[in-house]
Amino acid sequence: MAPKNRLQVNFFNPSTPGMKKEVGIAATILIIWALLSFGIPALIFLAGLGDPTGLGESFLTRARFLGFPLHYWLIAQGCTIGYILLCKLYCVLWDKKITKG
Amino acid sequence: MKKGVLIAGTTLATLLLSTGTLLAAGEEVYQIQQGFKLLPAIIFLALLFVYVGVGFISKVSSTSGYWVAGQGIGKFGNGAAIAADWMSAASFMGVAGLLYLKGWFGLGYIIGWTGGYVLLLTLLAAQIRRFGKYTIPEFLGDRYDCHAVRLIAAAVTVIIAITYATAQFKGIGLICGWIFGMDYTASVFFAAGVTLAYLLISGMAGVTRNQQIQYVVLISAFLIPLWILIRKAGGIGILPQLEYGSILSGLMDGKVASGQLSGAELENVRRAYLPWGEGTLYQFLALTFTLMVGTAGLPHIMIRFYTVKNEDVARKSVLWGLFFIGLLYWSSPVYAAMGKFWNPLGGKAVADVIILSAPEKAGMGIAYIGYLAAGAMAAGLSTVAGLLIAGSSALAHDWYATVFKPNCNDRQALFVGRVCTAVLCIIVIIAALNPPALIAQIVAMAFAIAGNTIFPAVVLAVWYSRANKYGALAGMVWGLGMTLLAMAGWIAKVPMFEAEGILPATSSALVVCPLAFLINIVVSNLTQDRVTPESATKMDNILRKLHRMPAAVEEPPAGMSKLNP
Repeated sequence: MAPKNRLQVNFFNPSTPGMKKEVGIAATILIIWALLSFGIPALIFLAGLGDPTGLGESFLTRARFLGFPLHYWLIAQGCTIGYILLCKLYCVLWDKKITKG
Repeated sequence: MKKGVLIAGTTLATLLLSTGTLLAAGEEVYQIQQGFKLLPAIIFLALLFVYVGVGFISKVSSTSGYWVAGQGIGKFGNGAAIAADWMSAASFMGVAGLLYLKGWFGLGYIIGWTGGYVLLLTLLAAQIRRFGKYTIPEFLGDRYDCHAVRLIAAAVTVIIAITYATAQFKGIGLICGWIFGMDYTASVFFAAGVTLAYLLISGMAGVTRNQQIQYVVLISAFLIPLWILIRKAGGIGILPQLEYGSILSGLMDGKVASGQLSGAELENVRRAYLPWGEGTLYQFLALTFTLMVGTAGLPHIMIRFYTVKNEDVARKSVLWGLFFIGLLYWSSPVYAAMGKFWNPLGGKAVADVIILSAPEKAGMGIAYIGYLAAGAMAAGLSTVAGLLIAGSSALAHDWYATVFKPNCNDRQALFVGRVCTAVLCIIVIIAALNPPALIAQIVAMAFAIAGNTIFPAVVLAVWYSRANKYGALAGMVWGLGMTLLAMAGWIAKVPMFEAEGILPATSSALVVCPLAFLINIVVSNLTQDRVTPESATKMDNILRKLHRMPAAVEEPPAGMSKLNP
């Protein structure tokens, strides 16, 4: 068979204008998702490197936000609220760029 | 006719068995109060009648109605169904206990189980809806044009369904036993009878409608005690999900209900809430990543996107589903923190009953405990129903109606579907009655299996046109093989696969899943020339459909045409 005639679909190299828009939105959301999911634990890790006991105590664990220890709030509510907002943003971007555009 | 006999027979049999063993009961199995409890039983039975009644009202007569609810469910409804499907008896009873034991580290479960939905939404939801057929094995089998891929996916779906459902039945059995004073065996049969009855009568439409009711019951049962508890712990009682923050901060300084902790006790509590007291960064990330790709790869969750009107509703129902799930996961840590506040040094025994003991602690009375049990029951039932539908559709639709007997008609397919649901349910009952120790471990592995096997295959199926059946097979065999190897190693206590190892069995996807992607891509590229032109055309047609590309040739794959109404 001739591979040239085949359809091209590749997340990192979208071939049609419609797919480009879809991938653009998805990639934006996924980058923020990765920052939330891996960036925040990494930040807590880096901040806690100075703690000689290895438990990761840092300004993030001492700071208070809405009454919570900040490192706790960031994961327990920051990330989860962030995910819901990301889903909302995805739907909004989709409506704006694809449904209407 | 056959259908009626089947339903009546299986339901009657399980109910008879349950009453039979009821008479023989009398052992002291439960630690909490024994015997039949009238008020909780009335509340509980009333809700069961509602579930079965709703199933009966929305009964179906077509295959698509049975499997995908006639594709007419809206965004709130499907969102609530996603949430009810998702929230098992384990989520309901177990997450708070996990957080009680593991402190900050336990939050990894929460972000893992919510973050997965972002992956699902951005990469898969709309495309799966555009494909528009019934099951995930079907999607993979058609896209890769390969029955072997279809069968592996079906096998994985069935494995996940059976093990996961078994764990649910254990929980449901305990609750029924507690309310009616039956022994464990009787209560498993009783619960199974109820589940089977409405599943067989109604199929997915009834299940979906029930899941909406069940979500309301379970979330309200879960949330209401919080307001009373937070007041007892010294809060204002407006928004417990925010007010427990100061209790938590107090805990880190050793402030508990009985006064001020000091010395080793203070260290113990502080340790749980500091980031790396219960695990390392690697363990945390491995856990969250595995739960995320696992969530996005669970067939009984993905199947939800087939049940909606269109892809727009598919997207919005993820948003609502995640919000509804969030309500539970914002509240579980409150229970955990209050548990610590009143009993800072309790072990697993405290963690296990943290939810069931909450109404008692709040002084809410026996009627409320009945409602809470009905909520936990709803959580378990809805998950089991979703799992049995996904599992039996893999058998009846992907194996029987596609591979084994492609010429069967709609009625036969529906009948086999009901038989498969019943057979699966019986397997689950047997497993739940005499749970092999292995079950608990396989349940913990379900996310690793789904994330290593199904997720990479589905994502590449949608987003990489060069991915072919050879790549998919290699990737899936690798994912499944490595997961099973890690599980065997874990059971045999090989250090590498234990919780502190390099490749913890239940968190293996951080390593295995990306490699499964890589293997699929590499093998697919190496075997490009072996794909036949017919097969390539079929795959291209499906890709056109997934990405709404023009010039899609309307030619359903062989054996599928009968299913398009």
